[in-house]
Amino acid sequence: MRFLVSPSPDLQDRVRPPVRWFLVFAALLVAGLAAQRGLAGGLTPSGAEAHYLGADGLEPVPAVALWEELHANAFVYGFLLLTLGSLLAVAPVAARWRGALTWAGCAAALADLGAPFAVVAARGLGLLRVAVFAALAGALLASIAVSWVSLGRPPRRADA
Amino acid sequence: MRDPRLDPFRAPLAIFLAFVLLQAGSGALLFAAKLGLGAGELAAYYRGSEGLRGPRTLEGLLEVAVPHLAAIPLVLFVTLHLVAFAGTVRRRPFVLLAALSFGSALGGIAAAFGVRFLWPALAWAKIAAFVGLEASLAVWLGLLGLLFLPRGRAARASRDAGPPEAGGGPPAPLPVRGWAGPAAPGRAARPTPAPGYRR
Repeated sequence: MRFLVSPSPDLQDRVRPPVRWFLVFAALLVAGLAAQRGLAGGLTPSGAEAHYLGADGLEPVPAVALWEELHANAFVYGFLLLTLGSLLAVAPVAARWRGALTWAGCAAALADLGAPFAVVAARGLGLLRVAVFAALAGALLASIAVSWVSLGRPPRRADA
Repeated sequence: MRDPRLDPFRAPLAIFLAFVLLQAGSGALLFAAKLGLGAGELAAYYRGSEGLRGPRTLEGLLEVAVPHLAAIPLVLFVTLHLVAFAGTVRRRPFVLLAALSFGSALGGIAAAFGVRFLWPALAWAKIAAFVGLEASLAVWLGLLGLLFLPRGRAARASRDAGPPEAGGGPPAPLPVRGWAGPAAPGRAARPTPAPGYRR
């Protein structure tokens, strides 16, 4: 964290390679999550509904399993958003774009955590599950791209 | 926030805090739903109960223990790092609370094996360790949350959070941190101090 709060050109040069390696892994993680969900049928509304409600819609996933999914994903999303948000915080882009990316990622992650509960409660809403995951993946990949491009660059404006 | 250098990081810190809260809350819920709230229920969960379910296998225990051995220390490490960086707590309470957190985490994981293979009464140790971990995590998150109070209120709350060091007396003033810029009139410039907890 020191390189973020006390940046210096020398320090920035040293941290750029490991941070970029982290960003590669973060992008791979997002791709992996998408692939995992795709293989489980979670990238289509009907597939998501079948996953959470059963093939005939009569065997919903138990509540404990939904909480287990939330428990595990909150760990991943929390760390990813903390790291990407911290990198964005020092990125030389307009404050409104930084804020928009950070909070969009947070809102999409929270929605993604809550969507399975909504699918089970409403006996539908598979489209919601797909849409919030698409929003989450988009926000995370955009944050990764901005962090990659802007890491170590001097601020362009006083507010940036 | 007490350290102006942390101002740009308010959003990611708040988000991290919210997600750790979600994790801790869902962990408590899962503990109650799966293991139960009493020592008898918990021992039955691990050792099995006649006619209902068999004892947990070693593979089943490891399936839960291994991810938690990675995740819990990581969450604690990062949370403690952020609290230490922000300097919202004195050194001694920081060290004690850190020991309580990590000790509870380790005790909770070990107690699951103990209940299953050694002694059912260790269920009490498992419950105590879980409560200790959740309570200490709540304190850490509260300390992290102090960063979001205005500076005056944060300083008062921080003084209340940790008892004065040996010798009593009022707590030491907060270290002055900030960007290395021009010194205030009548004040010698000094290098930016390294972040850390208050001593």
